[in-house]
Amino acid sequence: MSLLKIQDVVTAYGKIEALKGVSLEVAPGSITCLLGPNGAGKTTLMMTVAGILKPRKGGISFAGEEIAGRAPHDIVARGVALVPENRLVFPAMTVLENLLAGAYQRGDKKAVAEDIDRMYARFPRLRERSAQHAGTLSGGEQQMLAVARALMSRPRLLLMDEPSLGLAPLVVEEIFRIIAELHRDGVSIFFVEQNAHMALKVAQHFFLIEQGRISFSGTPGALAEDEVIRRAYLGSAQQ
Amino acid sequence: MLDFLQAVSDGVLFGATYALIGIGFTLVFGVMHKINMAYAAASVGGAYCGLLVLKVMAGAPAWLVFLGAFAAGGVLGWMVYLTCFHFIPLSSPLATLMSTVGMLLLIDEVIVHVTNGMPQNYPLMFDDVMLRAGEFTLRGDLLLVFGVSVLVMIGLLLLLYHTRLGLATRAVSQQPVAAQLCGIRLVRVNALTFVVTGLLGGIAGALIGASVGMLSPLLTLPLTVKGLIVTVIGGLGSVPGAIVAGLLVGGFENVLQLYRGVTERDLYVMLLLFVFLVFRPGGIFAPKSGRD
Ligand SMILES: Nc1ncnc2c1ncn2[C@@H]1O[C@H](COP(=O)(O)OP(=O)(O)OP(=O)(O)O)[C@@H](O)[C@H]1O
Ligand SMILES: [Mg+2]
Repeated sequence: MSLLKIQDVVTAYGKIEALKGVSLEVAPGSITCLLGPNGAGKTTLMMTVAGILKPRKGGISFAGEEIAGRAPHDIVARGVALVPENRLVFPAMTVLENLLAGAYQRGDKKAVAEDIDRMYARFPRLRERSAQHAGTLSGGEQQMLAVARALMSRPRLLLMDEPSLGLAPLVVEEIFRIIAELHRDGVSIFFVEQNAHMALKVAQHFFLIEQGRISFSGTPGALAEDEVIRRAYLGSAQQ
Repeated sequence: MLDFLQAVSDGVLFGATYALIGIGFTLVFGVMHKINMAYAAASVGGAYCGLLVLKVMAGAPAWLVFLGAFAAGGVLGWMVYLTCFHFIPLSSPLATLMSTVGMLLLIDEVIVHVTNGMPQNYPLMFDDVMLRAGEFTLRGDLLLVFGVSVLVMIGLLLLLYHTRLGLATRAVSQQPVAAQLCGIRLVRVNALTFVVTGLLGGIAGALIGASVGMLSPLLTLPLTVKGLIVTVIGGLGSVPGAIVAGLLVGGFENVLQLYRGVTERDLYVMLLLFVFLVFRPGGIFAPKSGRD
């Protein structure tokens, strides 16, 4: 059974349908990547799964339960967390407070404190900057913080919307290393990426979305073999 | 010179109530990016409701009346939220402006109707106390106004910076989408912000009533204007700004009252508003991180 199952989802901004009937599945324990050009509807899809946007039609089930149209807090409580596009850290709150906000729904203070320690162990830069306002962090540090904040809710499925956007190559590599690590720790990951080269190294399944529709679904091998996709996302000569 | 100092000191002490009203405007703005025009009227309304304590229990002590105003302010805040915000489309910037102006006028009408337009005496506290240093005096009732206001502000800051609700409130005001992604309920935070600011308003209304000695529906409009001025001078969304600006406006208007008379002073307060709008539109402390 799939962990996340999206069926014929239509999400619109006013009259404009950004998602025109999207269906896809994410297997439990997998790393799945959503590729697509600018404006294809990637962010819209992530926001719809997280409950920020309400689908006009279609179904979304998570671990067998219908979540389409539910409120974001309900979806977080069920174990889905989204690292949003552009990170959206709380700029005038400290790093520590950002992490506490991520654990907002959890009552177990001791376990939360332990998790914060765990985050600091994974992201040592955040420990150094614990008392600093998040708005003063570098882009890479803010991305780490956004990931750590999302993990504070102890998600079963971590959604990430372009985690490498605007980051230096070294930082991008670190982000992907962390994705692989989290996966090893048992978190399923469904992420949006424009950097297909990096994504090929970690993801086990790919979806391509174009103009609000899924136009490709397959393994990294199938993706690399598809002539059209290769030309558009990998540059024709490279592999 | 002594007159001047006396006017500044009395004004700053009374200005603490403006600070409270300014905080109310600014907090709602920070969380929802909306102006609650009914805020000062609801605050005066809360103070009026405090008088009900005297109806139920003749000769009740003044602090019980204040407590009643505090509680009633919270209830009124929640009612303003429900009627003017909850069911109104928030995407339209004008809708809530209209609904809250409507509520301001409605509260005014209700007060006029219930009291037959007659000013109501308000219980005084410490009005017979007077601290002296030579010619310079500190009125006991103004000290009470100031002291209670400071306590309420400390309470608010503790709430904002040391509780879960405070964390949620700040998160929503800084980044509402991310706040929801953290599992924070936007609607609940919005409603609770109105309750908290209502509590503040109720106590501010009662303090104003106690230091003036009476309440009248004529208070609501000038208080609305002063609250807005304090909010602009302090910087929209800034609580420390509202506190400083409230004291500043209180001192400023009282000095002008001394030299130019009570009818002319508000003119200068309005001019102060324009000076700020032109030269420092972000307020005394332009907030570090606003939304948009
Ligand atoms: N708030 C909005 N109001 C109206 N239209 C919107 C809004 N947000 C997105 N859209 C439109 O919906 C479509 C999908 O946008 P979306 O942000 O989901 O794309 P994306 O794949 O995430 O793009 P990018 O790679 O640039 O992040 C686009 O055509 C966009 O113009
Ligand atoms: Mg996007």
